[in-house]
Amino acid sequence: MATDGLHESETLAALRSEAESLKGRLEEERAKLHDVELRQVAERVEALGQFVMKTRRTLKGHGNKVLCMDWCRDKRRIVSSSQDGKVIVWDSFTTNKEHAVTMPCTWVMACAYAPSGCAIACGGLDNKCSVYPLTFDKNENMAAKKKSVAMHTNYLSACSFTNSDMQILTASGDGTCALWDVESGQLLQSFHGHGADVLCLDLAPSETGNTFVSGGCDKKAMVWDMRSGQCVQAFETHESDINSVRYYPSGDAFASGSDDATCRLYDLRADREVAIYSKESIIFGASSVDFSLSGRLLFAGYNDYTINVWDVLKGTRVSILFGHENRVSTLRVSPDGTAFCSGSWDHTLRVWA
Amino acid sequence: MMSSTSDIGQARRAVEQLRMEAGIERVKVSKAATDLLQFCTEQAKSDPFLVGIPAATNPFKEKKPCTIL
Repeated sequence: MATDGLHESETLAALRSEAESLKGRLEEERAKLHDVELRQVAERVEALGQFVMKTRRTLKGHGNKVLCMDWCRDKRRIVSSSQDGKVIVWDSFTTNKEHAVTMPCTWVMACAYAPSGCAIACGGLDNKCSVYPLTFDKNENMAAKKKSVAMHTNYLSACSFTNSDMQILTASGDGTCALWDVESGQLLQSFHGHGADVLCLDLAPSETGNTFVSGGCDKKAMVWDMRSGQCVQAFETHESDINSVRYYPSGDAFASGSDDATCRLYDLRADREVAIYSKESIIFGASSVDFSLSGRLLFAGYNDYTINVWDVLKGTRVSILFGHENRVSTLRVSPDGTAFCSGSWDHTLRVWA
Repeated sequence: MMSSTSDIGQARRAVEQLRMEAGIERVKVSKAATDLLQFCTEQAKSDPFLVGIPAATNPFKEKKPCTIL
């Protein structure tokens, strides 16, 4: 009936205008507490000295772009995945390849090491996340024991085990994140809210509780409650896709890297962006970020083949690292903070210390 | 218009979400920043990149050759 249609569109308009005014109120509330900048508070901290960081190991073996990597908790083994469809487990001390598996798809965009060190997870254009137990039995074919865990309706962009081998968190081009039980493949919780592809995720340090942060092509970073599936905080200050998110070691903040050529720091208790890491000379996107153990340094890999090292508190760049011959696509600091590993479209991984 | 009920559902969820986000407790940036600083300072001595690990203990760095005196 015509009158029903009119009533509905009035409600829709009313809801939309309420949403706009709530957004305005959110900004006002955040602005009220913006009494100082992080870098001003950091003026009283000693400046950092000169850093000497060099490539200490180069891992060669992938036949195409390296897309993702993760460290094993033993601080030594590394899993990496590539556009060539291969997933390789390396001993980073010796550079030996310990395991290799060929996926049924190319563009394996995500890989992760299980906390126990006994399995790895990976996926990409197959829209799935699969878990492979790692076996040292030469007679066993790694691919034979493959377990399909997650099913999305678009590519898998990121995956991470939670604190045990039993659950995996995934992010996908289908705009959602999801939590899965590894053994049964059951979907435990799904997270809806991003308006476009989700490109990255990171779990809060275990002491902080059951939350994780995700970043996407909608330029938003969202913090989620893993139990309820609800988004608890959202940040929209980047000007382009967010490629990487990583929690600050205390769990009170997280950093992001974006195609807008900046990295940013968001404090969860102040509920706002508190620092932006950028330079006029940096015009290519940041693909991956990670913190040093204390949170003082932010390592960021860029599409201009470099790695920039930022003083998180003062907002200045302390070092620029050259070596890769194509985009840096992935970067993680080792579990004991003694080194970090970067993966690149130049087909190699480098360990820096 | 046929799709209006789902649009309304979506708009209602967006309003509920924003209400929830607007209502959370926040601290001043000065307090949050001070806490970030404090954490960094406390952890600095255990951060290998800040403290520097001698080549002998960092498995990635070359060990210096020994000289027999």
